[in-house]
Amino acid sequence: MKLLHSFLFRALFFFAATAGAQPSFTGPAPLPRVISDPAERRAAYLSRIDEVLNWRAFLVKPSDPQLVGLAEISAKLARREDAALCSERLVELMKKPSGDMFWMFPVVCISYLGRDQLTPEAKAAIREAWRTYYPLRGDTENHWAMYYTSLYLMAQLWPNEPGDRWFTGKSSQENFREAQDYLIHWMGLATTIGQGEYDCTHYLGEYAIPMLFLTSWASDPAMRQRGHMMLDWLMADYAADSLNGISIGAHARTDDTTVLEKWNGLASFFGWLLFGNCPPTASYGGWGIYFVAAAKNYELPEVIYRIATDRAGPYTEFERKRTRHRWRNSEVRNAPVYKTSYVTADYAVGSDQGGLLQPIQQHSWDVTWAVPDPRGVHNTIFSVQPHYGVDELMMYFTEMPDYMPLSVTFQSKPTYISEDKLLGGSPYEQIFQSDDCVVSLTDVPAGTTFEHVNGFFSKDLARLEEDTSGWIFVQGGRAFIAYRPLAAYEWRPNEKGGKILRSPPRQNGTLVQAASTGEFKSWEDFKNAIRALPLAIKLTPTPSVKFTTLRGKKIECAYGAAPRVDGRTIDYAKEWKLFSSPYLHADVGSGKLTMTHGSLKRVLDFNSLTISDAVTP
Amino acid sequence: MMTKRNTLRFFAAALAGVCLARAAELKHDLYVCVNVSGQGSVMGSAVAAESGLYRSNDRQNFEHVGVNNFRTFSLTHDPRDHAAIIETTIDGILRSPDRGKSWRRVTDWSMTEPKDIAFDLNSPDDVYAGLPDGIAASHDRGLTWQRAHEGIRRAYTHALIVDRATKGRVLAGTELGIYLSEDGARTWRLVQATSKVTYDLRQSPHDPKVMLAVTSADGAFRSEDAGRTWQEIAGVSSAHTLHYGHFDVHDAKRLVLCGWEAGVLVSEDGGRTWSDRTEGLPNRQVWCVSPDPDLPGRLYAAPYLKPVHVSDDFGRTWRPLVFEKAIVYNLVFVPHQ
Repeated sequence: MKLLHSFLFRALFFFAATAGAQPSFTGPAPLPRVISDPAERRAAYLSRIDEVLNWRAFLVKPSDPQLVGLAEISAKLARREDAALCSERLVELMKKPSGDMFWMFPVVCISYLGRDQLTPEAKAAIREAWRTYYPLRGDTENHWAMYYTSLYLMAQLWPNEPGDRWFTGKSSQENFREAQDYLIHWMGLATTIGQGEYDCTHYLGEYAIPMLFLTSWASDPAMRQRGHMMLDWLMADYAADSLNGISIGAHARTDDTTVLEKWNGLASFFGWLLFGNCPPTASYGGWGIYFVAAAKNYELPEVIYRIATDRAGPYTEFERKRTRHRWRNSEVRNAPVYKTSYVTADYAVGSDQGGLLQPIQQHSWDVTWAVPDPRGVHNTIFSVQPHYGVDELMMYFTEMPDYMPLSVTFQSKPTYISEDKLLGGSPYEQIFQSDDCVVSLTDVPAGTTFEHVNGFFSKDLARLEEDTSGWIFVQGGRAFIAYRPLAAYEWRPNEKGGKILRSPPRQNGTLVQAASTGEFKSWEDFKNAIRALPLAIKLTPTPSVKFTTLRGKKIECAYGAAPRVDGRTIDYAKEWKLFSSPYLHADVGSGKLTMTHGSLKRVLDFNSLTISDAVTP
Repeated sequence: MMTKRNTLRFFAAALAGVCLARAAELKHDLYVCVNVSGQGSVMGSAVAAESGLYRSNDRQNFEHVGVNNFRTFSLTHDPRDHAAIIETTIDGILRSPDRGKSWRRVTDWSMTEPKDIAFDLNSPDDVYAGLPDGIAASHDRGLTWQRAHEGIRRAYTHALIVDRATKGRVLAGTELGIYLSEDGARTWRLVQATSKVTYDLRQSPHDPKVMLAVTSADGAFRSEDAGRTWQEIAGVSSAHTLHYGHFDVHDAKRLVLCGWEAGVLVSEDGGRTWSDRTEGLPNRQVWCVSPDPDLPGRLYAAPYLKPVHVSDDFGRTWRPLVFEKAIVYNLVFVPHQ
């Protein structure tokens, strides 16, 4: 019977794949499984790559060339088929380039995959487009990673050409040097004081794809090595901050969908592709095709695979990142970001220190619980102090001030000025996390947009009880969660499901304690345990909380003051390393990341551009 | 008897006749730095209409020049070679030797999103640009650039002018005030503190000692000693962000300001009193304003996401001129060759 099931499933899979469906997206979610055999692991990875390529290539209908875009051409070329059709179509597509750096990197992908496949006419059309079309460089870290990687690789592809052959007006050599300088500069920043766009639910792809391209196609061994090391670095960071492939908070950037449906971001595509531990998102993340087109050039190190999939028990990960570049309203270009993540098999709690660390799409803390199939599930709980304002935008953008807040809502950030929003940071929020307990305190000046706190309560909670003690007890998956609003609140429906706890007072906050269901005999036991924990809340003149956590830590948080744990004052600047956990270690400024898992160890050293692997007995 | 339609046709024909007659008087091209892609444009957006630089040599017809870039902020020209134009964009500084036929990005990754740019008329190899993190100087006509903002705290710089009377005197509108350099941007000193950004600086075409500054939260300032000291202009509210201020080359006592919700403000007495000349414009969110150096009484205004408007009675009446929904970052006049 089991064999029959297996056969039927494989047959279905094959049919689905050949019929152009997205079998892993529509099929059952993967069961948790650690593949120890490297050959089997590689085979599974290659099979997932082929699934994506098959799907995308199947979208090509020779009878309807209008449907053939850069993604389909990439898939076809990666499969080494239909080069004539791809060439013909490219000649057309290159007549109307559009998309800036989002156009550049697909064309890089096609150019390199097509070196020995495309017709001279197609190559000439691409070449001409890079003379006549001026793709913008953009204003974010991910834009620049895509832009300069693309410029680097195309300048390498077409060396020794004068400035009048390039849209920049610079020669091949000048373009190459500028791109190289920037990429090395960026890698230096990211590996010493952290990424600015850190731990994004979507933008992981916008870094991973360029780095894969560098390691695949850079001729300079040093740049190839840098690309490889940065890709490892990014994936190690993601692995440690993931729960069954889902990127856990805090995030520099997420979006209105993914902040609730935690799986539904491009990052999960990488969880599926590299770790095999979650379903891919629709269309394999959209941009995923460009990673896949070159993915056979990358082998995920086993140590990273195991960090993502094979954990001995709960762990805490401390990380140092940096803010996006600040232009105004700040004495520093990049302020430090201090992240804490507590990860168990059942749930993860993650946070930053609060404040305005990123514009618009910051997500400062949440609890994410594990679910067997994350598709459509809002497996998270959190609160935000929904702030928006010109000062925030002036800090991170160089534009004129007044038009920005409304304008942002037309730029794929529709909730930015909404009082019900669940996305974004606040200058009036301070957060501290100890293990799986989070304290968020808010002290908002009168007249600020806005003054209240929004707490998100998912449609997918298994239980929700408002206790007379003031606690709200909920269960999500195998996580019991105690949520304590610090001030009076009311419930409001949430358009996307679930409800919002709206708490109007300006002196306010949220206290959350999570635990695994397996730690308690019953739901009642959990509630009793929480009720018994010493707790003192003061809201005036400024909010403060004294709480003894489920883990026995006495934490004291007061707005405007450094937090204290068991009587010791926390010094973020001294205590938070670039990475610090049982799995990852890097000192601030070091450019060196050590990854460990069991007997496995890998060291990425950007000072010597070396990768060292070791297996301890 | 004339019908309403015929009346309109008569006036349109008359207007065209006037314009054609006036075209002969024009000594400058008008360049518009404009985003016509709408407020939803972001990196990677499909291009609905080309943004960037538009040029008109007759004030009626506008042609797109150069690259499509919806963040093109400002433009200047080499005083010795008017075909050599330099623009500031989100990508950096771009220089064209041939009126926009070909371009070269003359800055690298280390300088981004420059906002303003100005030549030193007394030392025309020297050019200065305001960056969101400082000031850049070029000593070879804008071909290469170096940083030059020593002494400036919180160095976001949105506006720059070079004193046309004295070589190496540069004034910068920064995040927290107006800075003055008297040594070609090597060193700077604060001459007027502000609480927020200074968005425009101008030097009077009639008297080089007279200067004008407009700010985000401190209203407008006037200097009568070439920028050494500044006095707040009474009668200009600090409630709204002011974007631009101008002297009228045809009238020494006439000034004009504009801003977000501030509309268009005109003074006919050197800044002592101000009249609101927004009526006739579709909104008060006036991003940009500029008098025409060739046509006395001609004023242009760019209300947010509306057509550029034109007035021939210095703002008393307005009519739409060009574009449907425009965000105009700057209106710049470049002398003909």
